[in-house]
Amino acid sequence: MFLSLDPFLPALGVPLFIALLIGLGLPKRWSVRLSYIGFLAPLLSALHVWWYFASSNKVSGFAFYNAYSTGIDRLGIGLKFGVNGLSMPLYVLAGIVGFAAGLYAIRSGADRLKLYLMLLLVMQAGLMGIFASVDIFYIYFFHELALIPTFIMVGLWGGRDRNYAAMKMTIYLTVGAMLSLFGLIAIYVKSGVNSFDLITLKQALADHPLELIKQQHFLGILLLGLGILVSLWPFHTWAPLGYGAAPSSASMLHAGVLKKFGLYMLIQVVIPLLPEGLSHWSHLLALLALFGNVIVIGLVTIAQRDLKQMIGFSSVMHMGYAFLGIAAGSALGTGGVVMLMVAHGLSVALLFLLTASIHQRTETYSFNDMGGLARKAPVLAALFTAATFASIGLPGFANFWGELSIFIALWHCSAWMTCVAILGVIISAIYGLRSAAYVFFGEPTNSFKLVDSHRPASDITCSEKIPALILLIALLFVGFYPASLTNAINSSLPASEVHSSTQANVAASH
Amino acid sequence: MIQSSLLAYIGLSAILFAIGFIGVLLRRNAIVIFMSLELMLIASTLALVAFSKFNGTMDGDVFVFFILTVAAAEVAVGLAIVVALFRQKQTIQVSELDSLKH
Amino acid sequence: MEISVLQHLASGNVWSSLWPELSLGCLALALLVLEIVLPKKSHDVISQVAILGQMIILGFVLFCCHSSDATTEIFNGLITLTKTSHIMRVFFLLASIFVSLIARVSLAKQTMPKVEFYHIVMVVSAAMMLLVESSHLIMAFVALETVTIGLYVLVSYSRESALTLEAGLKYLVMGALSSSLLLFGIVLLYGVSGNPLLAGHTLSGMHYQDLGNFLNLNPHNFLASVGIILVIAGVAFKMGAFPFQIWVPDVYQGAPTPTTAFLAVASKAAGFGLLLSLFHTVLLSYSWLVIPVLSFMAGATILFGNFAALTQTNVKRLIGLSGVSHAGFLLLGVVASATIPMALGAVYFYLFSYLLASFLVFCVMAHVAPAEDANQELSHYVGLARDNPFLGAILAIGLGSLAGIPPLAGFMGKFFVFLAAYQAKMYSLLFVAIIGVVVSIYYYFGWIKAAFFESSEQDAGAARPARTEVCWCNRLIFTLVALATLGLGFYQGALGQWLNW
Repeated sequence: MFLSLDPFLPALGVPLFIALLIGLGLPKRWSVRLSYIGFLAPLLSALHVWWYFASSNKVSGFAFYNAYSTGIDRLGIGLKFGVNGLSMPLYVLAGIVGFAAGLYAIRSGADRLKLYLMLLLVMQAGLMGIFASVDIFYIYFFHELALIPTFIMVGLWGGRDRNYAAMKMTIYLTVGAMLSLFGLIAIYVKSGVNSFDLITLKQALADHPLELIKQQHFLGILLLGLGILVSLWPFHTWAPLGYGAAPSSASMLHAGVLKKFGLYMLIQVVIPLLPEGLSHWSHLLALLALFGNVIVIGLVTIAQRDLKQMIGFSSVMHMGYAFLGIAAGSALGTGGVVMLMVAHGLSVALLFLLTASIHQRTETYSFNDMGGLARKAPVLAALFTAATFASIGLPGFANFWGELSIFIALWHCSAWMTCVAILGVIISAIYGLRSAAYVFFGEPTNSFKLVDSHRPASDITCSEKIPALILLIALLFVGFYPASLTNAINSSLPASEVHSSTQANVAASH
Repeated sequence: MIQSSLLAYIGLSAILFAIGFIGVLLRRNAIVIFMSLELMLIASTLALVAFSKFNGTMDGDVFVFFILTVAAAEVAVGLAIVVALFRQKQTIQVSELDSLKH
Repeated sequence: MEISVLQHLASGNVWSSLWPELSLGCLALALLVLEIVLPKKSHDVISQVAILGQMIILGFVLFCCHSSDATTEIFNGLITLTKTSHIMRVFFLLASIFVSLIARVSLAKQTMPKVEFYHIVMVVSAAMMLLVESSHLIMAFVALETVTIGLYVLVSYSRESALTLEAGLKYLVMGALSSSLLLFGIVLLYGVSGNPLLAGHTLSGMHYQDLGNFLNLNPHNFLASVGIILVIAGVAFKMGAFPFQIWVPDVYQGAPTPTTAFLAVASKAAGFGLLLSLFHTVLLSYSWLVIPVLSFMAGATILFGNFAALTQTNVKRLIGLSGVSHAGFLLLGVVASATIPMALGAVYFYLFSYLLASFLVFCVMAHVAPAEDANQELSHYVGLARDNPFLGAILAIGLGSLAGIPPLAGFMGKFFVFLAAYQAKMYSLLFVAIIGVVVSIYYYFGWIKAAFFESSEQDAGAARPARTEVCWCNRLIFTLVALATLGLGFYQGALGQWLNW
């Protein structure tokens, strides 16, 4: 009985409904109470989906498949829910990160808390919708739904340069989104079936693939559009600026989950539908990701003197690995990308959360003014160090598995690229460990003493600890028991190396 | 024969229409602009009557009455606006009407 | 002429089919009577009567008049009632109600007599309905002139304000000029179609269908092409499409806010209604000429509207120029409808979403506006969200929908139009449209930024006019319209099935 219920409707409907209630003027006390429910419902739904995924009936690979009409079925657009092995881990990620960000936001006491919670709830509903939708139009739709609150949150609660940051983010991400929409409409029309339904499209394009030149063009447009959204170098400049300015919960959700939309779109929709197009671009993509995102941004990250900016840049850098996994074009690489997305989402959300906690105690993000916090807040220091280890990709954390499988997949294509990519791990070790050292260890600086004297720094409080622990436990759980996700991922990836032509292309180009 | 005299009518009405059009664009006095507008309507009327005669249908003749009515209404409203504007600004030169931001 | 012939002709005059227009006209007259009968202090009732009466008519149109796909021609071909005209009736009634609601807020700040405003709005709305129902050029011209002359009066309504009168004069000159162009075009088409020397010449050259048939047989006639260009020019003025958009910013700024709303929504929609009914009967015969011209207009309109709106600080000019760009998007849909039937539904969906969103924005403008209506600056919106969260939220939803942000109705409208445009293979125009959307986000965002992000401490409200409080009744209506805008973003079926998808 319970299984037959659609788990996705409450995950989307409850947050949206509560957001609507808050918007219609719910008193503050009730808004806060209901917000707990609003963030809990997606988490429960995510856990439910994760637990029953293996045992559920699947429609064309999609578990818990349900379709609802929005009155325009004739256009091939309909609200269809379901998760396959690629979207299930991300759906779970969205549930967990959303819950952690929500808990943190509720207890953060931001001014205009009601509006803040309302926007976060809308964003959360959008995030769940992205990974629960089977209809491409709705994947895009929910992405935009989650994106808009980000702009508003950056503009309203942002730190320094918030107006500039909000404007820049808006323009960049709108351009990216519009380009992607253009590419999706192109697939819709040229596939000949006039449908946005992923299952229908996959079937139609498997029977009648598009001509090679069209596949290449469409994939190029989509790579550009989605690349902007995922901060592919050199279209990344909005990301550190935006994350630096955004309030912490918004950064957590955007960097942790929403930014994965572009990668998810690539592996779930674009590459399966346009399999031949990738080889045309994979070399360029790999080079951009490798030298742009991993090396250049990696070095830029080392040079940062601002903690939040540094984490923003580091997230741009890690997206480089994901693009490398996609460029590798093998099932192993794609699986690695999914794993890395989950791991990076959890770890970067944790880092942003802890950064906000650090800022509360030191009232600065600048490394120059920090130091010695570990004496006052040992638990915070331990958590931050653990998050840094995860972000570097040490074994025991989920990131390790993602990066490992991407490196192996890349090795099959190009050995030298793999070596350069591994250099990136060293770079991230340098800036990660250095930042932990700057913030927590060493002698307290004068400015920190000053802040400490008029408002003594305490250790991490319960309202910060619980969301942080949720994220950390999830990281460790996947790190020590990767099969919890990989079984599902494997079930959705083709066993044979379908993209062998891609690899040959990348390899041949050296 | 018929065609050539029709052409004369149409030519005349086209010339009148052009004169009116240029008048609207170039003249600076609101009253003269109104006169030019009327000229354009009258040019259409002339062409209508000519076509109606040569095509042998009544539609054009009937239309002329409607156009006259419309033109009268337009001028009535237009002159009212000009009078009200003159009371406010003491001028009806359109070049001096530039208080709305550009 | 035999009496039986006259009887036969008269039998086509089915007055009962025109009951929405007639009852709207009667209601308008009743308002004038009420003004004489009622004592001066209870004149406030009249506007309520106006709004309630229109709502009742709307209710009857929606629920008593089953929209069938059947096409009935009445008045001997002057008027053709189709499903489209039924849809547009609902549209203009809604627009008329919305404008009356805005007028109640906005005119309260003025000392002008108020009853005539509602009167003229209703008469003009009825004329707009007739305009899109007409299938005969004489009927269309007379209806169009009724609309235009009514709008002359509405634009220059505050006759004590020099700015308003200036706008009125500009609108009058431009409007009369475009009417003359349209008229001359009609005359040329009529003259050519009746020429006995040409194949398929017709005695009823003013009738759309007969004219279209004639043009089909003579696809490259010079005079007919000139006539068609002139007709398009006349209609483009109504739509505010390039290059006939030059009047838009000045007139929108000077006109009273409810009139601006009426111009932006109903007048534009009337232009599109006329264009669509002409497009599929008359103009498509000359598709070699019409399609390139309209495509160019669409692209230029989108670019001009968006880029000109970027630098505006007066919100009325801003909304006017953004309305120009919306006309461009709609034109995109119109051109696409030449080959893609679904584009028609997209255009109507766009119009409805534009109606709802514009209403929300204009309502907020009416509440924020100072007594001197023409000077509505972006700076007046600073701190709006803090002082009056309700108006802030309404503004955000309205602007978001205009900008085309999911999950609001405006996004779906744009999406459908783009989809249709892609299917019609209009790739370069689509690219222009995408540029337009990105640019438009910038200035809509600037407005939202003023209302939400900029703090009001520095100016302390010194230069800002007092804002009107929102009465509970308006609060209810705004909430409903905002929810409709949201709802249409999620579930298009309510409108989609009705628009025949």
